[in-house]
Amino acid sequence: MKRSNRVGSRLFIGLVFLFLYLPIFLLIIFSFNAGDSSAVWKGFSLDWYASLFQNRLIMESLYTTLLVSLLATAISTAAGTFAAIGLYALGKRKRDALLVVNNIPMVNADIVTGVSLCLFFVAFFQGWGAFAQWFNGVQGAIVLPERLTLGFTTMLLAHIAFNIPYVILNVAPKLRQMDKNLVDAAQDLGCTWMQAFWKVILPEIKPGIVSGALIAFTMSIDDFVISYFTAGSSTSTLAMRIYSMTKKRITPEINAVSTLLFLSVLVLLVLNNVREVRQERRAASQEVREPSRLEKLSFRFQQPAFQWARRGVTAVLACAFIVVVILLTGATSSQPVVNVCSLGEYIDEDLITQFEDETGTRVNYQTAESNEAMYSLLKSGGADYDVIVTSDYMIAQLMEEEMLEELDYSRIPSFELIDERFRHLPYDPENRYTVPYTWGTLGIIYNANLVDGEIDSWDVLYDDQYAGNVLLINNSRDALGEALLSLGYSVNTTDEGEIREAFARIADASRRGVFQAKVSDQVFQKMEGGNAAVATYYAGDYLSMVDNQAEGVDLRFVIPKEGGNWFVDAMCVLRDAPHYEEALEWINFIASTDANLANMDEIGYASPNTQALERYPAYYEELYGEELDPDLYEIMAVPPEVLERCEMYNVLPPATRTLYNDLWIQLGT
Amino acid sequence: MSKELIRLRDCVMSYGDEVVLDHINLYINDKEFLTLLGPSGCGKTTTLRIIGGFLLPTAGDVLFDGVRINDVPPYQRMVNTVFQRYALFPHLNVFENVAFGLRLPKKDGDGRKVKIPEQEIHNRVMEMLTVVNLKGFEKRPVSALSGGQQQRVAIARALVNRPRVLLLDEPLGALDMRLRKDMQNELKRIQQEMEITFIYVTHDQEEALAMSDTVVVMDGGRIQQIGTPEDIYNEPKNAFVADFIGESNIIDGIMRSDGVVEIFNRRFQCLDKGFGKDEPVDVVIRPEDVDIVDEAAGQLRGTVTSVTFKGVHYDTIVDFYGFKWLIQTTDYCPVDSRIGIKIDPDGIHVMRKSQYSGMFGDYSSYSEEYEELDVAGPEDGEGDAPLEGGYEE
Repeated sequence: MKRSNRVGSRLFIGLVFLFLYLPIFLLIIFSFNAGDSSAVWKGFSLDWYASLFQNRLIMESLYTTLLVSLLATAISTAAGTFAAIGLYALGKRKRDALLVVNNIPMVNADIVTGVSLCLFFVAFFQGWGAFAQWFNGVQGAIVLPERLTLGFTTMLLAHIAFNIPYVILNVAPKLRQMDKNLVDAAQDLGCTWMQAFWKVILPEIKPGIVSGALIAFTMSIDDFVISYFTAGSSTSTLAMRIYSMTKKRITPEINAVSTLLFLSVLVLLVLNNVREVRQERRAASQEVREPSRLEKLSFRFQQPAFQWARRGVTAVLACAFIVVVILLTGATSSQPVVNVCSLGEYIDEDLITQFEDETGTRVNYQTAESNEAMYSLLKSGGADYDVIVTSDYMIAQLMEEEMLEELDYSRIPSFELIDERFRHLPYDPENRYTVPYTWGTLGIIYNANLVDGEIDSWDVLYDDQYAGNVLLINNSRDALGEALLSLGYSVNTTDEGEIREAFARIADASRRGVFQAKVSDQVFQKMEGGNAAVATYYAGDYLSMVDNQAEGVDLRFVIPKEGGNWFVDAMCVLRDAPHYEEALEWINFIASTDANLANMDEIGYASPNTQALERYPAYYEELYGEELDPDLYEIMAVPPEVLERCEMYNVLPPATRTLYNDLWIQLGT
Repeated sequence: MSKELIRLRDCVMSYGDEVVLDHINLYINDKEFLTLLGPSGCGKTTTLRIIGGFLLPTAGDVLFDGVRINDVPPYQRMVNTVFQRYALFPHLNVFENVAFGLRLPKKDGDGRKVKIPEQEIHNRVMEMLTVVNLKGFEKRPVSALSGGQQQRVAIARALVNRPRVLLLDEPLGALDMRLRKDMQNELKRIQQEMEITFIYVTHDQEEALAMSDTVVVMDGGRIQQIGTPEDIYNEPKNAFVADFIGESNIIDGIMRSDGVVEIFNRRFQCLDKGFGKDEPVDVVIRPEDVDIVDEAAGQLRGTVTSVTFKGVHYDTIVDFYGFKWLIQTTDYCPVDSRIGIKIDPDGIHVMRKSQYSGMFGDYSSYSEEYEELDVAGPEDGEGDAPLEGGYEE
């Protein structure tokens, strides 16, 4: 009985650890995958690590992460240490009360901290703007900037703010353990307070300071939520970058960078633990012992000459660090800048470097995971994007709310190259605000080996024949749009009866167990691995699925006979963009034929540029030395007669939008 | 020897409404061993910390060599302190602890910073370690030392800076009895060798009497009495001092005239003079100044209620009219036996009434019987008996 209990508990512990660590091991293993799927193993390779270090956006965010973590750690450690000393000097009751106050931010939800800091900064910026305007108005000697935005500084402040409690928490116990009379004794022997701090307090509480700093650094390095809300448009940390990358698909590159992040945090934690264990051991062994060789050595280093040298080296390093920080922040501020926010990882990143080299303008390239996310980011204020890339219906909404700036098309000669089909579209009938970026279609993706014959109707989504094998797209507009099309209605209908009928079709199929799951990004893994037969998704993404499909999987794409949805993503400039000139320059550059060719090849979505559309097959052949499959190209850039069948989403009236939301919630998970 | 070094003038220390020191006036001579003695909370440590510079008095002046030093920070005072529980620096070894003060840059006459040469530091530290008998311990971490050794390090660390005054805050409080006695002698020896002023804080009256040139008895933030150990013991100013220093029977009395005091309606000869006629007073009779005689021959008669053997003598508690006296005697008197006592005139010390009157001196709890006695007189039927051997008016 006892024995079996022990076996049982061991098994249980084993399962717990397996559950905790297996996902991480999987991630690490797949970071060495030669293929770019997260489901299919195609052999060992370090390619993803190599490409990681060549990925400019990742390296830039890594640099940002390290800089913000180091600065925040240094500043919050100093501030937290002195705060702890101050707390310690207070009476017990006050100190305990303040320590409770100190602990609250640590247990507070990150999201609350993040949002509240964001609100705080934005409110401050508004107040500052008013003050600066008045100040600049009454005198001319000093000109204050009137417009402040979220950025590196606000993120740094946020990191300092959330790190300080951890430092205090680590330093306070060391102070409590310290003999109260030590400071008095030092002063009695001739120390000023500062001397007493350096010579007595600091050595006593050093262990607390070091572990406080280590924890602060770890917290800083892997923070996502708070950074996300305070970094604004021009800055992004590694965690933010990874998050935006996962929106499209989890690439092995993300696995690689996550592996590195995991390992570095692990190393820090191990260091901290080893240090603590060693200290405990030292405290435990109070008997006199021979100094170890290391200590003898360190004693030699404590001799005056060495001390002088050591101090010199420390001072030089500190100065160098400060200079580097100033140079780096200074260098970026004097350069012209354009802040771009795009949907997902949606660009050939070489274009960014190319643009920077050609124009000398720095590009801050940010991504939002969806149109809706970008919208709320814009609405929250504080973000100062110049150019955004977003979808047709969102553009219409932004125009309605007068959030866009008219474009000076004389400065965008590339616009002439945009095909007639993509101008004067319903979302911007007079074409005053937008330059198309890509376009594409929504259709059915299916695994030919799992279905009977060819599929050409939306009905397949609700067909019992494929029960448990259909993936429903997790997006109310697309899911309901598909159902409307299957019933022969318009995707833009505002007739409640029609919409309810379409919803009933989905809900009914859901009850019958037709759907395996509601998916967005998981669609890649499921379809590539052959785990589902039918899904709906965008043509451009279908192309990358085909590249990664496992053996025995034969993915096809079709725009059903009832018609489909097509969409345009376009570039616009936000009202009062701080870098209007640079924004136009960037749009013109991206709209050029070369840039469109590069983007088409990278992201698999069709270009609106006439020349690029014509030249792509040749470009492909030149690049890869093989002919472009004309069928695939037709899926990417749908021929006009098929496009005829497709409908673009309009902005729905508020009542209809509410109906969509309500119905979608009813469906549940 | 008698040159004045430190003076506290009308020093008041208060935190809000709470007065910790109430108009302290005190001077300390050069090379004197002065002890601040009192129960905890009496203000002795506060006084010491004011002299050390760690506290600023709410009112009043601190003078050093005639110069006001209220605003001089601790690190500029020619005073060093040995702290309660030593406050040694745990991250430094014995040598470095002692050398701590010497390694700090000092300002010379022109205000330039000067460092003491390493060789001199070494010599002075080693010399100091010799004085406190810790030679050979230089490299030890302080955490590996015994309490007595840590104590010596603390003393060496303070003395190595050659202060004019050494402040000691209950330095022997954490040591056991034997070690305490040794360290008392050691401290006295060091003080005489180094020829500097010691200001010593303790709540242990024995320690105070054994070591000091001058004892300052404090209570409730006030100085109760200043004097040599002999003065304090033999001529306590009030019931508090009498009770705090040694054992005392303190009885209500009435001064009938110079040299005559009445206790329990009986008159006793004494040496005290200068009180008003019929002034109510407190009378102190030390337990060792009472002779036990036959009941019949006693000036007072009572019943033995308890006897405790103390080695040299017996602590005998005797009930006189409900008031319990402590008598230290080498004669054994069994419990419940009736005895008489005799007191010589120089065994009686008369004090004026003070706020402490009636609070101390009875060796049972303050009893109701005694209250009744006050009103109704002695109860044992001998109340009207004439004074026996007492002084007739």
